[in-house]
Amino acid sequence: MVICILAFLWIITTILTGIGTFNAELLTTSALQGGYFEMIVGTIYLFLGAAAIAGPIGVFAAIYLVEYAPSGKITRIIDQAINNLAGVPSIIIGLFGYTLFSRQLGFDISLLSGWLTLSIMILPIVIRGSEEAIRIVPKAFKEAALGLGATKWKAISLTTLIAAAPGIVTSVILGIARVAGETAAILFTSSVIMTRGTPSSPLEPVMALSFNMYVKIVARGEGPESVFDIALILFLIVVTFSLVAIILRIYYRRKQPWLS
Amino acid sequence: MSNKKLIQLSSFFLKLKSQPMTAVLFLCASFSIIILFLMLFFVAQEGAYAFTQFGSDLLFGMRWDLESNIFGGLPLLFGSLMVTFGALIIAIPIGVSTSIFVSEVLPFYLRDPIKSIIELLASIPSVLYGFIGLLVVVPFIQDVFGLPSGQTALTASAILSIMTIPTIVSVSGEIISAVPKNYKEAALGLGATKWETIKSVVLPISKSGILASIMLGFGRAVGETIAVSMVSGNQAHIASSYFEAIYTIPSFIATHMGEAAVGSTEYSALFGLGLILLIITFIVNTLADVVVKRGVHQ
Repeated sequence: MVICILAFLWIITTILTGIGTFNAELLTTSALQGGYFEMIVGTIYLFLGAAAIAGPIGVFAAIYLVEYAPSGKITRIIDQAINNLAGVPSIIIGLFGYTLFSRQLGFDISLLSGWLTLSIMILPIVIRGSEEAIRIVPKAFKEAALGLGATKWKAISLTTLIAAAPGIVTSVILGIARVAGETAAILFTSSVIMTRGTPSSPLEPVMALSFNMYVKIVARGEGPESVFDIALILFLIVVTFSLVAIILRIYYRRKQPWLS
Repeated sequence: MSNKKLIQLSSFFLKLKSQPMTAVLFLCASFSIIILFLMLFFVAQEGAYAFTQFGSDLLFGMRWDLESNIFGGLPLLFGSLMVTFGALIIAIPIGVSTSIFVSEVLPFYLRDPIKSIIELLASIPSVLYGFIGLLVVVPFIQDVFGLPSGQTALTASAILSIMTIPTIVSVSGEIISAVPKNYKEAALGLGATKWETIKSVVLPISKSGILASIMLGFGRAVGETIAVSMVSGNQAHIASSYFEAIYTIPSFIATHMGEAAVGSTEYSALFGLGLILLIITFIVNTLADVVVKRGVHQ
C-alpha cells in the first residue's frame, strides 16, 4: 500500500515539476503558433461526444440488467460479454473502430469515428457503475409507485432512476476520466497531428493531447521534455474528472442514508 | 435444443415484442454482445488473408520482413509475454498485500482515501505513464545497471506493474472484504492472532478471487500499448535478458499500422496479430469470470 501511495505522489511531483516552465497563454494559442488550443478543445470534444453516446445506452443496459433481466442463460451471456468488452485491449478497439467506422461506414479519420470508438471503451464502465447505483436504491421506492398504479417503466424512471442519478452521473464521469487520455483507440480513427482550427463538423479529423504526446515522442523521436506542457494539461484534466467522481460518490453515500 | 428450452426462449422474445420499452432496454443491454461479435468478425476478416497465407507461421515464425514478404510474430509474442510476466512478478506481491492491508488491517476511516488513490492511479492514461517512464525510469535504469540504453524489457515491466496493481487491488480487495465476518471472529476467538487469521482463514477463502484478479491483471498488461511502446525500445527479437529492448504485439501494431497500405499483406498480418491478442485476452477474461463465479459458489 505504501508503494501505491509513493507511486502516486511520485507521479504527481514528477508532472508538477513542469509547472515552473508552464505558460498559461499557450492554452488559448493556436497550435499553428505553438500553442495547445486545438488539442485541448479536441480532447474535450472527443470525450464529451463519447460520453453522450455511451451514457444513455449504458444506463438503459443497466436498468435492464437490474430490473428486467430474467435470471437465465441470456442474461448470463450479456453479463459475460460486458466483462469481456471491458477487458479488450484499447489497440484492438482502435483496429475495430478503424475497420468498421472509418472504412466500412465511410466516416474516415474523423471526430465521429473517434466518438463511436471511445464510446465502446466507456460503455462497460457506465453499465457497471449504473448497475450498482440502481441496485442500492431501496425497492420500497419503486413499490410505492407501483402501488399507486404506475406501470413498471414509469415506476422505475420516476423513482429508482432519480434516486440513482448521482451514482449514474458518477459512473459517466469516471468513464470520461478513463478515455480522456486514451491514445491507442484514437490513433487510427480520429486524430491527426495538426489541423487548421477546431473541427467544424463531426466528419473532420481532430487534434488531441494524448495523440500529440505519443506521436511527438515515438514517431518524431523528440525527448520527453518537449511535451511536458501537454502532459501537465492532460494530467490535470484526467485527475480533475477522477477526483470529481470520487468526491461525488463519497458525498452522496453520506447524504443518502439508505446507501450505507 | 430441447423443446422446453425453445418454448422458454420464444416466450422470452414474445414478451419483448409486447413490451416495447423492455425491448429497447434489452437491445441496449445486448449492445456489448453485438459489439464483441462485430469486433471478432472484422478483426478476423481483415486478418484472414495473412492466416491463409502464413498459417501458424504468423504465430511461430521468427522473422518479420516486409521486403521478402515474411511475417512471423514469435519475437513479438515472446516480447509481450516477457514484459507481462515481468510486470506480474512485481505487481502480484504488492497488489495482493495492499488489498489485504486495505481491507483487513487499515482503520475504517482511512479506507476510502486509500481506495481513492488507487482509483486515481488506475485512471491515469497510459501515454502519461509512458511519459513518466521516459522522463524518470529510463535514465534511472540506464544509470543503475550501466546500460547503453534504458529502454529495456525491465523498464516496460516496471511501468506496466504500476498500471496493473490497481486492477489486482480492486478485484481481490472486493473478494477479501466479502469474507464473512463470523469466520474471522471464530478464528480470533480460538486465540489466533490477526496475521494467523489472515493466513489460515481469509486467504484460503479468497484464493479464487485473488487468482481471478491476477488473470485480469494479465489481460490488462498484455494488451497495454502506448506506455510499453514508449519505454521498451521496440526491437523485435528473442531477448535473452530483461536488460534488452523488446517489441510487443500491441506496440508493434500501433507503430506499423500507419505505414501499412490498406489491404496489403502486412496490413492483414497486423490484423492477424490483433486477432491473436484479442483471443488471448478473451480467454483470460472468460477464465477469470469462471474462477470468480466458482469461488463465490463455494
